[in-house]
Amino acid sequence: MIKVSHLRKEFELSRQQKKELNTTANKALAVDDLSFECQPGKVFSLLGPNGAGKTTTLRMLSTILSPTSGSIEIAGIDAVKYPQEARSKIGFLTGSTGLYARLTPLEIIDYFAALYQVPSKEKEERKKYLFDLLNMNDFLQKRIGKLSTGMKQKVSICRTMIHNPEVVIFDEPTSGLDVITAENIIKLIRDCKDQGKTVIFSSHIMSEVDLLCDDLAIVHKGQLKYNGPMSDFRQNMEASNLTEEFIRIVQR
Amino acid sequence: MIFTIFKKELIDTLRDKRTMRTMLLIPLLVFPITLTLFVNVSSSFEKKASEEKLKIGVWGDLGSKYWNQLKEMPDGLGKKELENFEDSAALKRAIEQGEIQLGLIVPKNEAELTRTKQSIPLTWLFDASSVGRQQRAESYMNFMSNKAEAIRLQELGVDVEKIHPLVPVYQNCASDKKMIGQLAGGFLPYIFIAFGFIGCMYPAIDLFTGEKERGTIETLLTTPVSRWQILVGKMMVVVTSGMLAASCALLGLFVSIEFLDIVQNKEILDIVHGILTPSFIIAMFSLLFPLVVFFAGAMIPIAVYAKSFKEAQSIITPLNFVMVLPAMIGFFPGIELNALTAAIPVVNIVLSTKELISGTLSVGYYCISLGIMLLLATLSVIVSYRQFGNEARILN
Repeated sequence: MIKVSHLRKEFELSRQQKKELNTTANKALAVDDLSFECQPGKVFSLLGPNGAGKTTTLRMLSTILSPTSGSIEIAGIDAVKYPQEARSKIGFLTGSTGLYARLTPLEIIDYFAALYQVPSKEKEERKKYLFDLLNMNDFLQKRIGKLSTGMKQKVSICRTMIHNPEVVIFDEPTSGLDVITAENIIKLIRDCKDQGKTVIFSSHIMSEVDLLCDDLAIVHKGQLKYNGPMSDFRQNMEASNLTEEFIRIVQR
Repeated sequence: MIFTIFKKELIDTLRDKRTMRTMLLIPLLVFPITLTLFVNVSSSFEKKASEEKLKIGVWGDLGSKYWNQLKEMPDGLGKKELENFEDSAALKRAIEQGEIQLGLIVPKNEAELTRTKQSIPLTWLFDASSVGRQQRAESYMNFMSNKAEAIRLQELGVDVEKIHPLVPVYQNCASDKKMIGQLAGGFLPYIFIAFGFIGCMYPAIDLFTGEKERGTIETLLTTPVSRWQILVGKMMVVVTSGMLAASCALLGLFVSIEFLDIVQNKEILDIVHGILTPSFIIAMFSLLFPLVVFFAGAMIPIAVYAKSFKEAQSIITPLNFVMVLPAMIGFFPGIELNALTAAIPVVNIVLSTKELISGTLSVGYYCISLGIMLLLATLSVIVSYRQFGNEARILN
């Protein structure tokens, strides 16, 4: 479960950034008083246009960034106070995730299993399960640099799930991927939901959200514009389709 | 956890061809190749110059006295062929055009000067841009001069010892080890500093800027490993790489001395063997280790700050000069290790290593040098940690 309450994030602006943004302000507000809850066994979608604050929010959830104020609870752990403990419960995947090109998939998975301190027996079981599930056995010993995008994506998925996390965070996971590779991600999100994990994913593609999510939050300029079940969103929409309704809410 | 990160980063680094080249291959081969080339080329030049048959033009030797002396000279002083010139300007022109390699001008009043027992100026013409010409002239001149001096002394009935009442005897009280330490001791730390820096450079950029550029840092930061553990694991690889590069350079130098006959003087070779004892190597590495940590600590904040490999490289490369230039202090004679120089980073390492080679390093100055470098290394680690913990820097 994820509980977010009155989350706020301000960034100090460098001289260069002030120049680029044409502002004299010393700080930029990226996330402004966000509160929401993601339930286990459900897919929660964070929807918003580019620059809405989705990535910043997810980075705070994964404790890469510290919030300026507000609280985050990950699987019952106060993630602001105990970030390291919270991170052990999280699997994090982004569309732009890179992999170590000079290592093999097997080495990468072993490395992350060690970082997550997965016990040896459990590690071997998880590896076998994931390698079979993702059909990775043929390229386990090849260097990442020699793999196709689809193969790399499978390695990323395996890396995210090796410690069997309770909470899975996806930041625009299908961004830049072709339809077939993106399908692996869609399947992974569904599997996570079926396994009772808490899933949060960000996107700016309404069709993807429609396909997967149970609960929805729309953010724009760091503020929450909508938060509720997807079924309510569909029922109460004023525009003729989901994309137009999303645009209407954002521009409201 | 630190060891897990260290192991992975080391494997990753060792598989990078660019790092391998700068860390192992170049340091290992640079001395065997350059020294072999230098020794072979210079000895072949010397051999060629000594074996070369020179054409010597002689002008003004009316009595054929010097002509004959030159002709009778043993070939051990260099092979030659003589040619008589009627005109000094023609002789000079022939040397300029390379037709003649040495010219000897005997003064017209040579007979008069000999008779009146005065000094006879013999002028040698040569082209100094050609290797070994002056040396050949000097060796002929010494031969002729000794002969002339002996004849004149005999004519005067004077014993050689009577005209040299004082005979200087210079005796060097410094040990050969000390001499080598002072003359060549600056070279060793310079090599270590230069290659230690280069060895740290590529891994520092690759493991920090490279990880940002490739988008792998975000993933690493979501693991339940603290940032200081990640930093220390990565930093250990940077330091290992710097130490390896410097050690490889020293190993290359040792191989050159030991197996490639670079040092042909057996006495010097014995002294070098006497210097390279295990205790010397341990003491030297104890001085150089904090220096390499300091290098790593200076580079990491830059690598974290930089947005691209190119940007990091463009900042760190000039830093090379700032760090390595003080190491050249070791080449200057007269600058010694004292309380002040022991407190100057880099300079203290160079001077301490020099004294270590000479066997004259004082424990007090060693402790000051080591203490300063350890302090600096600690500070650089703190700065690196702060920069690595700065979320705006690490994710930019």
